[in-house]
Amino acid sequence: MKRLYTLTVNGEPLDVAAAPNQTVLEALRYGLGLTGTKQGCDKGDCGACTVLVDGEPRLACCTLVEQVADRAITTIEGVATPEGPSLLQRAFDEAGALQCGFCQPGMILSATALLQRNPDPTLPEIQAALSGNLCRCTGYTKIYEAVQRAAKDPGRRAPRLTGPPTSGFQVIGAPGRKADAIAKATGAAQYTDDLVLPRMAHGRILRSPHAHARILSIDTSEAEALPGVFAVITGQDFAKAYCVIPWTRDEHPLCRDKVRYIGDGVAAVAARDEATARAALERVRVRYEVLPAVHSAQEALAHGAPLVHEADHKGRARPDNLCKEVALDFGDVDAAFASAAAIVDDSWTYTGNTHGAIEPHCSLATWGDDGRLTVYSATQVSHYLQRELARMFDLPQGDVRVVQPTLGGAFGGKSEPFDLEFCSALLAKRAGRPVKILYSREEVFYSHRGRHPMDMHFKVAVDAEGHITGVESDILIDGGAYHSFGLVTTYYSGQLLPGPLAFGAYRFRSRRAYTNKPACGPKRGHGSVQPRFPLETALDELAAKIGLDPLELRRRNALPASDATTVNGLSVPSCGILSCLDEVEQASGWRERRDTLPPGRGLGVATSMYISGTAYPIYPNDMPQSGIQLRADRSGRVTVFSGTNDIGQGSDSVFAWIVAEETGVPLDQITVISADTELVPVDLGSYSSRVTFMAGTACQEAARALRERMIAAVAVKWGCPAEQVRVELGAYVDTLDAERRASTTDAMCWAEAALGTPLTAAGGYRTREVGAAYRGGTIGASPAYSATAHVAEVQVDQDTGVVKVLNVWAAHDCGRAINPTLVQGQIEGSVYMGVSEALFEELRYRDDKGLLHQGPSLLDYRMATSLDTPAIHALIVESVDPGGPYGAKEAGEGPLHPAIPAVANAIFHATGARMRTLPFTPERVLAAIRLARQEGPHA
Amino acid sequence: MLDLPSFEVHRPTSAAEAARLAGALPNAVFLAGGTDLLPNLKHRLIDAEHLIAVDRLPELRGVELLEDGALRIGAATTLHELATSELIAREAPALAAAAAAIAGPQHRRAGTLGGNLLLDTRCLFYNQTPAWREALGHCLKREGSLCHVIGSTTTCVAAHSADTVPALMAMNAVADILRGDEALHVPVAELYAQDGRYALNPHPGRQALVLGVRIPPRAPGHRGVYRKVRAREAIDFPQLGLAVCASFSDEGVVTHLSAAMTALLPRPKVVERLKVAIGTKLEDAVIDKLSQAAWQQCKPQASIHGSPEWRREMARVEMRRALVALRG
Repeated sequence: MKRLYTLTVNGEPLDVAAAPNQTVLEALRYGLGLTGTKQGCDKGDCGACTVLVDGEPRLACCTLVEQVADRAITTIEGVATPEGPSLLQRAFDEAGALQCGFCQPGMILSATALLQRNPDPTLPEIQAALSGNLCRCTGYTKIYEAVQRAAKDPGRRAPRLTGPPTSGFQVIGAPGRKADAIAKATGAAQYTDDLVLPRMAHGRILRSPHAHARILSIDTSEAEALPGVFAVITGQDFAKAYCVIPWTRDEHPLCRDKVRYIGDGVAAVAARDEATARAALERVRVRYEVLPAVHSAQEALAHGAPLVHEADHKGRARPDNLCKEVALDFGDVDAAFASAAAIVDDSWTYTGNTHGAIEPHCSLATWGDDGRLTVYSATQVSHYLQRELARMFDLPQGDVRVVQPTLGGAFGGKSEPFDLEFCSALLAKRAGRPVKILYSREEVFYSHRGRHPMDMHFKVAVDAEGHITGVESDILIDGGAYHSFGLVTTYYSGQLLPGPLAFGAYRFRSRRAYTNKPACGPKRGHGSVQPRFPLETALDELAAKIGLDPLELRRRNALPASDATTVNGLSVPSCGILSCLDEVEQASGWRERRDTLPPGRGLGVATSMYISGTAYPIYPNDMPQSGIQLRADRSGRVTVFSGTNDIGQGSDSVFAWIVAEETGVPLDQITVISADTELVPVDLGSYSSRVTFMAGTACQEAARALRERMIAAVAVKWGCPAEQVRVELGAYVDTLDAERRASTTDAMCWAEAALGTPLTAAGGYRTREVGAAYRGGTIGASPAYSATAHVAEVQVDQDTGVVKVLNVWAAHDCGRAINPTLVQGQIEGSVYMGVSEALFEELRYRDDKGLLHQGPSLLDYRMATSLDTPAIHALIVESVDPGGPYGAKEAGEGPLHPAIPAVANAIFHATGARMRTLPFTPERVLAAIRLARQEGPHA
Repeated sequence: MLDLPSFEVHRPTSAAEAARLAGALPNAVFLAGGTDLLPNLKHRLIDAEHLIAVDRLPELRGVELLEDGALRIGAATTLHELATSELIAREAPALAAAAAAIAGPQHRRAGTLGGNLLLDTRCLFYNQTPAWREALGHCLKREGSLCHVIGSTTTCVAAHSADTVPALMAMNAVADILRGDEALHVPVAELYAQDGRYALNPHPGRQALVLGVRIPPRAPGHRGVYRKVRAREAIDFPQLGLAVCASFSDEGVVTHLSAAMTALLPRPKVVERLKVAIGTKLEDAVIDKLSQAAWQQCKPQASIHGSPEWRREMARVEMRRALVALRG
């Protein structure tokens, strides 16, 4: 029974009809349309729904409307003043604290309350006040900066550019504000679950309680009969399988014959609201024949193991659970081992973990009267999703429109089609109305596609001077129930390792096996974060064995700064690893401090290299991998049409920077429209760190073409040769007569008049042939590679085993920082995520309980809070890659890799203990310390 | 979304009315901050048809130092108020420290002392969604017949996880309770059941309305600390909670020492065999003995995060650190 409550929200008395069991979060989001208040976990574990009640931060998901009926509620929409966003909201924008922005309304409210009671807080006070608000993007670094800035700033309004550009440029290299940030700070940005369509129904998916079982029958009649239920579907309604990789399709939107993990979808319903949908699911009767489950990769490959998939995607019987095997051999590894000065030969374990984006996956599907399908989805890969939807529903691709609204964090976790997109589309068709499916946090964990567990055996040899002469690895990968990007993962676990440090010889074997667990996939640093851990810790051990400084050992093995080729044939046009090592050595005080640290304190170093996009698209074709179109008109505004998914990393802003640089059009006259397949050219999506390099190149090409048209028109107008016209920010100038200037708007008008057509331009990134000729030699091949070095400083409590990471200095060679604020944000977020993986994050399935996830929540899956995150020092190194736009390379994934081995190496330096299993929990660290003490001091 | 089950909310205007309602209504539970109750309801861990809101009842409000030196704290006092009150910091420092270490800042703004006292026991196999528990086959504490931690069909070992409770126990606090028309005064140490299925002893049981706690007068020179072991420095429940209180003479000689632990078993535990400290200045050898005693008496179960062996070891370490801090 609903009651009428009068809530005072943002100073306004509002009548709300609510049932007694309605939370403030539901009332705000779904009753009042105040969607700035976000839902991340729905049970008080993440802080995304924080609102102020009488000025104090409270969790809207754990508060009933009844509890606050006569209290003053402030949501993010009420923080701004009539003059505009609050000082703090602007400070978040200016500091670059808004990446995906999803957690930030809650964060800003917690910080608002802090500043109200303490106008000039110290850093520890800020950290404590924000410790109930998880952020997955920023590493909290720029959030602290924003709060401090707001505390001290008298209230000026910052320009788009907050610093000067790199010498020789007008905009490139200038730190600055993102185009979409202020909308995220005010709660105006619309994420998928914020969208509501008329007559919209809510869908839910029924999930398997068994890890492995045959579906004997499904009876949906009771569910269908429930009032308010519009449609019920099962696996029989989808004939085709899907996968992001076209030749490994092994997954159905709903299971047809078998379920393969606890959480696998078996039926879905659409109903008038979520509660009815949930009630309907309880009325779906599924009979299962439970089958023996495959628990681990070892078990999967044992003789006689139950088969997770009886047949492959072509219907051929599978002999075993081996999903993919790669074995490659480069040079004479055995000779290297035979002549080595020192060898480390050991095993390491990388426990799996997951992305933990605060926004749960969400899809909203609707069919037009013309039979065309539109899907709004929190996806990183609009184009691949469009292709798969068209194929699954037998539609021409042009009849499917995929729109990516503002996206609340992804990290690889939204980089392939998911069941909810197909199910919402089919339910919408059957129900004859739009259908939205929002994953619960538990479902996010089941859908997973996170970092693969890997059991890794490594043998690494150096000569007496510390040169890496031979590396051999044998890696067993637990893939979970489906393929996902598994083929790529398997290659990446070996192919991406021989840089930025050169190997003399290299041999690897990687095998990915199916098990009855949620499918693993790409997580930030796909496939290569795991083997970095054994390699870089083994190098640390080898340095100790031969009596060499571990940082110096890495220096001796650095790839050449230009035109290097790795032992496995990857061409590395630019490599700034030496500069990175110099930077972290100096900033951390490595030389002075390493031998003088107090007990339990240690410094560790590690490096990595990562791709700037995969050389080739996922489906073979000769078309550009990225396209950018520009439209300019007499208004003076340029609109950039980009297929790229801005997932919070700021790609829209990178394009704006590039267009401003080339055309001189000021940033506030540039609009970027992205990731709506109906409006924008194709881009393959935001994965594999490809965007700045590939889409940036396309954007540069388009902007240069636009500039040429504008210059030509100005030259005609002035009656001078085109070479005489120079482009400045905001003006076209006569190089021989500084008095003669035209605004960019004038230049556009003249060009439009001269052309007689609208002023447009387009650019593309076309596949460049890179990679080696052997089979598999193109996987791992990229047009450019970033390089990173970290030094981590830890304090280890030797009585408890608790590791506190105090500092991470991260120097990253991104080629060229187009907007350094964004690059720093990527480095800081990567370091945060790496440290959080190193210390806390662990996905485990209970072997003894039918492979049940050990805690699919943000309480049991622990991600570092502000109080657990080190001081992160982002250091940008610019090697200026010959192929990237202005020399730019990737920055979003590479800087994660070294964090884990750097922390492990710092623990060794602090205690003498070698960590071989992640995460470095106090139990494991304490056991390792004791083992080290038993074994005596290391060399 | 995790929807809540249907229930009615009642807002009585007096404690007496609240206590009567609790007795009269079927499946009634008290609601104060809701930070634990609502997630548990979303997980369908409790059958509640009626929520009785008590957070604004005047009898449950206020912190005051009584004339005899006792400290009376209303059950609706928020954890944030406990953590930031100067009076509590001075009179009951272990309690202030414990409250400050609970969950995150937003939880502490809503969560109350009474709610923490009545916190349901927690377990890896229990605090999960209905779908998860169905996949498990349910457990002894809820809808099942087996404790998945120890394999028992008769005893549940879900962990008591309320941080304020060891502090209150170490100060011999008494809970003032209204149960129907009956006023009860139950030592906090006696509130809890041995069987984790029931957070509270049958007496007072779930219908007990905790009005507040009364902390007896502290001896001169009272000091107190709370040591919390948890994975992260915010949000997480305790893997071990240890409160230690002591009084010292002007010469620094211990005149009183008491301690209690939580996050072991369904019932928090008073640490015994601390008398060796009396008359000493907590010299290192004394601290060693006391730490060993804590270790011996700490027998955690695998119902929560972290291995029992490690958590047990932490009792020794944390007892030593607590005593060193108290010694000053």
